[in-house]
Amino acid sequence: MTINTHVDPRGPRFGAAITSILSLIAFFLSLTNQSLAYATVVALGVLFTWSLVSPSTHPFGWSFRKFIRPKLAAPKELEDPRPLKFAQQVGLAFALLGIVGGIFSASLISVSAAFIFIAAFLNAFFGLCLGCQLYLLIRRVGIIR
Amino acid sequence: METTIALTIALIIVATLAGFVYRFFHGRGHSVSGAQCINLEKLNISKNGDPVTAFGREATVVLFSTEYCGQCPAVIRALSKLEHRKGGLLFIEVDITQRIDLAAHFNINQTPTVFVLNPAGEIRFRVSGVPKPNAIETELTKLGVK
Repeated sequence: MTINTHVDPRGPRFGAAITSILSLIAFFLSLTNQSLAYATVVALGVLFTWSLVSPSTHPFGWSFRKFIRPKLAAPKELEDPRPLKFAQQVGLAFALLGIVGGIFSASLISVSAAFIFIAAFLNAFFGLCLGCQLYLLIRRVGIIR
Repeated sequence: METTIALTIALIIVATLAGFVYRFFHGRGHSVSGAQCINLEKLNISKNGDPVTAFGREATVVLFSTEYCGQCPAVIRALSKLEHRKGGLLFIEVDITQRIDLAAHFNINQTPTVFVLNPAGEIRFRVSGVPKPNAIETELTKLGVK
């Protein structure tokens, strides 16, 4: 039995807002300056990996706790981190598509950035966490436990 | 350059449209025909420590949740309140975290998922996600719950 520390759901949404801006920049750059776009997608990949390895030290989480959280009321509901972690893995998978695929075809950088943008944008502004929605479905199929 | 800006704006529009479509359909629910029946023995759940053996007199509301479902507790509270307010209504909660086979059986893709059953235990209405305000109450009124 693993112990899960529940999190304020507004933290990940704040992170998603920053991710959506970064990925939109990556998408724009992928059509104009591919090496800069590639660097941005690598940065996104690093950020996704960071949130999986050590979520408590992640810069988005840190800035949320430092600057945003004190201005907000107490959260109504805390969220289990498992689906959120899975959503970060999905994000990392798309970043890897751009990082690995980008070596062979520049258009994959655009595809990768576009997917990350759509997922992060929906999470930040509509409260729809695509990865979390997939979580139960994927568990049902038996890919993860 | 112009195409680049146009494509970037197009991407933002696509994401926004997807968001509004999601918001429109999420939690609306739909009537179920074909009347799949719930078998309480197989469902094997308890409420306040006692096994549930009978459906509600007028209707039963079933909520499927998981341990990691962030939005479930709020929906559970709302439905519990509804149960206290309405006569002949039974509300039961099924945690499918360890019973993932149930998700496959009832084709549940996300939690919360809410079913409204008639007195015979037939599924009449189902909502995937957090039900929109009054979606469940409207359905209960149709079943004659006051």
